[in-house]
Amino acid sequence: MGVMDDPLRRPSDAEVGAALQQNEVMGGPVRLPGGIALPVQIERVLGFGRSFSFWPLLFGLACCAIEMMALGGSRFDMARFGMEAMRASPRQADGMIVAGWCTIKMAPRVVRLYEQIPDPKWVLAMGSCAVSGNVWDTYHVVQGIDSLIPVDVYVPGCPPRPEALWQGLEMIRDRVKQSRHAYDGLRRIPAREVLLHGEPRP
Amino acid sequence: MNEGLDTSLTVVLAKLEKRFGGRLRKQTECCGDLTITVEPEDWMRVLSFCRSARELAFDQLDCLLGDHLPERTGAPFEVVVHLLSHTHGHRLRVTTPLAEGQDLPTITGLWPSAGFDEREAWEMYGIVFAGHPDLRRLLTTEDFEGFPMRKDFPLRGTVGGRIRTDLRGKI
Amino acid sequence: MSGTQDTQGLVRAAQALSRRPSLEELRERKDRTRRHLEPTGDVMTISMGPQHPSMHGVYRAVLDLDGEVILAVRPEIGNLHRGVEKLCEHRTYHQIIPLTDRLDYISGFAMNHGFCEAAEKLMGVEVPARGRYIRTMTHELCRISNHILWLGTSIMDLGTQTFFTICFRDREYVLDLFEMLTGARMTHSFARIGGVAKDLPDGFDHRCRKVIDFLPKRLAEYERIIKQNRIFLKRAKNVGIFTSEDCHAWRVTGPTLRAAGIARDLRKDEPYAAYPEVEFDVAVEYNADVYDRFLVRMKEMRESCKIIRQCLDKMPPGPFLAPDAAHSLPMKKNVLRDSAAMIQDFYQVFRGPQVPRGSVYRCVEAPKGEMGVYIRSEGGAKPARVRFSTPSFYHGQAVPALVEGEMVADMIAIFASVDVVLGDCDR
Repeated sequence: MGVMDDPLRRPSDAEVGAALQQNEVMGGPVRLPGGIALPVQIERVLGFGRSFSFWPLLFGLACCAIEMMALGGSRFDMARFGMEAMRASPRQADGMIVAGWCTIKMAPRVVRLYEQIPDPKWVLAMGSCAVSGNVWDTYHVVQGIDSLIPVDVYVPGCPPRPEALWQGLEMIRDRVKQSRHAYDGLRRIPAREVLLHGEPRP
Repeated sequence: MNEGLDTSLTVVLAKLEKRFGGRLRKQTECCGDLTITVEPEDWMRVLSFCRSARELAFDQLDCLLGDHLPERTGAPFEVVVHLLSHTHGHRLRVTTPLAEGQDLPTITGLWPSAGFDEREAWEMYGIVFAGHPDLRRLLTTEDFEGFPMRKDFPLRGTVGGRIRTDLRGKI
Repeated sequence: MSGTQDTQGLVRAAQALSRRPSLEELRERKDRTRRHLEPTGDVMTISMGPQHPSMHGVYRAVLDLDGEVILAVRPEIGNLHRGVEKLCEHRTYHQIIPLTDRLDYISGFAMNHGFCEAAEKLMGVEVPARGRYIRTMTHELCRISNHILWLGTSIMDLGTQTFFTICFRDREYVLDLFEMLTGARMTHSFARIGGVAKDLPDGFDHRCRKVIDFLPKRLAEYERIIKQNRIFLKRAKNVGIFTSEDCHAWRVTGPTLRAAGIARDLRKDEPYAAYPEVEFDVAVEYNADVYDRFLVRMKEMRESCKIIRQCLDKMPPGPFLAPDAAHSLPMKKNVLRDSAAMIQDFYQVFRGPQVPRGSVYRCVEAPKGEMGVYIRSEGGAKPARVRFSTPSFYHGQAVPALVEGEMVADMIAIFASVDVVLGDCDR
């Protein structure tokens, strides 16, 4: 079930509606196996903690990467938000900032890196090239990375100023706080189902 | 626009004409650039001479590129080479017209920097360079179909290649 | 007084000459520093894949390793290939300028400038004096911006983090100047056929002078830090020796060629813009290793500050854009006020310039090396073929020749020192 089995298929309206309903349900009390119900909304607590230490994958493809690096520099300073630790390995990252155009040669690698990032993860499409392909409507450029991976926040610009990327990252941090992901309605995460229902759904 | 050639290029032209004479198909001059057009059979001879002759001494290959002129029905393809001499400071352009399917000897023996250029000309136009050590796709995916820079290949769309997320295991 | 200075100059020159290694000595040093190329044990193949911590974009190199020694490198580029050259065939000359920005995106104006020089050569447009000086000044600001960023990322590849942040801090001053002048920090699209897009704004002169007074002191501090750092010296001295004959064979130009002792700089050898009218030295070093490439770029930054100061001092009055109705756009301020300018704007934007038939090739000294632009025109407003022979394409090709026989850790240093940017390489 879900789009991650076939990443090029768009979810239907019914699937998206079910996902949004599930998001509402997640705010409620969490049932642990054994029937104990915690009144504490664990995901919210975890989300609050995660939002102060979001470590993106070091994945700059093109020009936008330079502005991303400028955001890491001392003038704009991502380190205030705990984001300066850009991990080189996707296994250690919380999310991806896809900065630059993705070509069809690079596409399988982008998807593989995305899959290697452990849950929960968020994706920010930085720059018009990652959002929609920009002027590069050619035979070799993917017209927007949302054909490949679910995107949480889109930051247009060519390149977006570091402040614009920062605003995008603030939006990501809001979503991290609420534990909302772009893939929420799109696939199952057995660990989350255990927390909600006490057992994975069949 | 036709300002004329400067002295070092007139020397180059004279030397080439003396050596190859009637074999040079054409020489043109545009905006101060000298262009020699040769037959594909003379490609290696002319370029070796350009490299080794003392007055020419073209020791750097600036770039090799392919071109497609569909309106020229007999020989729609062209390979253009830009040469530079560090000792004399002059530049030369050598071109050759090619028919569909005609191949050209590689010049990687003279200038190793032609390796990537010839690979790109092959993948973009389909011009084969005989004797090239590694003639395969360079900039596009390995299974790309078609020659993108040809005028009849569409700019947009997925004619040559698609997103291949099924290659996850193989990168 | 002058006699003593002359003698001192001569003594220094003699000392410098005696320190220069000859080509044979460099070849011998290269053979000594390179290790074996035949495997002594099992060969391990690793993919220094398109995503890696080195900050140089999506370059993939498949390495055959014998322990730590690199036996063979098979580079794979094209992960950032957009088909710019094909796209250019569907755009008018004015519309191509923003596309060139994104080639070597770190020094956007240098690419604009190269393309405009080639297009102007083809169309026979003469850029007025003020336009030439503004172009020279902006090009040199690009060179400073490029080299500072290169310095920060290269040193970060070699292991520090702080240097990266301080380089980016100083680069912000230059980016502020760009924003004031062109409207954008990075992808300027500032050159136009016949000149530049805008005049120098009020206050730019004062601000630019402040920055270029302040920068050389910073650069001296960086140089001091680098030269005193034992780790850096160990990782950079006698590493990655690439002699001048290698450079000629592999079409490696720019600071790498100048670090090998060849004083070739297109700003002096094939001058364009206002370079004939400004005085500067060509930065040359003679040991052809990573350390010398660092020194060359540091010196180039200082020379760029000198050039910018001279441009500001000598900035001539007059138009910054050629009043050439057939080829160039009019000055923006006249478009809504003057009917001739409005018609010219309409024609140039909707139809494009009137270009004669012909082919032209023009090279400029981009910060990374020599960038050549080949344009073949069949007489229309859109070119029939455009080829950008960008320095990074050839530097990426030369990586096997640079690196085979070296250790894996040195590969990072060498790859950083030749300055490859994949947007430039893959186009």
